[in-house]
Amino acid sequence: MALDVGTLATQMLGAALPILKKNAQDAESFAKTEFTKIAQTIVSIGEQVASGQINQQQAGLLLDMQTSASRNVLLTLQGLALLTVEEAINGALSVVKTAVNTALGFALIA
Amino acid sequence: MKMIIPSTNMRSKKRIVGPIFLALLSVALLLASCTVKLIGDYDDTIDKGVTDVQQKAELYLSKLQSTPNTPYDQGFYDDIYARLAVLKSRASSLPKYPIIVEQLANLKSQFDDLQKLDKSMARPFPSGAVTAAESAISVSVESILKLELALKDRGKASAPSLPKAK
Repeated sequence: MALDVGTLATQMLGAALPILKKNAQDAESFAKTEFTKIAQTIVSIGEQVASGQINQQQAGLLLDMQTSASRNVLLTLQGLALLTVEEAINGALSVVKTAVNTALGFALIA
Repeated sequence: MKMIIPSTNMRSKKRIVGPIFLALLSVALLLASCTVKLIGDYDDTIDKGVTDVQQKAELYLSKLQSTPNTPYDQGFYDDIYARLAVLKSRASSLPKYPIIVEQLANLKSQFDDLQKLDKSMARPFPSGAVTAAESAISVSVESILKLELALKDRGKASAPSLPKAK
């Protein structure tokens, strides 16, 4: 059986796209929740300075903590993106595995 | 002329795209003799260790919240820093773990800020400042745990179904 580039590509794309879309939605939901918390806290820090509960230096420290929190949210998104790409590649290969291995007569894709 | 040029371009594009796709597919297939892995595996020690750090921080901050005259406690910070140092060493030794190493460094930086704040703040400690600090640490811990749990669930999603070829 000869391998057809168009058929293989369609099958691979069909397997990868739903994974990319679903994981992008999950990541967006996580980012929205966490960035909302950070935004609320930044507003609260401003209010505390205005009311004299904390001074500007203390506000700076609290803001620095929020910045580190934002970095950690972004790093998680980076990690989730890597996992998504990994899953998409493996999913794309798995759907053409049988066809490719059968056509070649040996297990190229394990 | 206008009709001929695009047509020629289309043919030449097809001639170029075909071999490029085949070459990319070949590379992907060669690389894919085993499963592709771009980030390290789930680590139970880091998962539990980060949860422990959060639990200790919550306890300390809850005490500051309920009893705002609680004095600065160096022992709390020593304990947290020791735990974070152990976790960072472990993460550094795991393959493909730079993201979580950096996240642990950010978490440590948050405790550095909290310590400076705690030392400089007159008592009673303002409730709003405790809430802001707690929220930042909580977001960081949740971020690390979110990634660890995603690593734990890796490959558990149902295998993609074979789409119909057009």
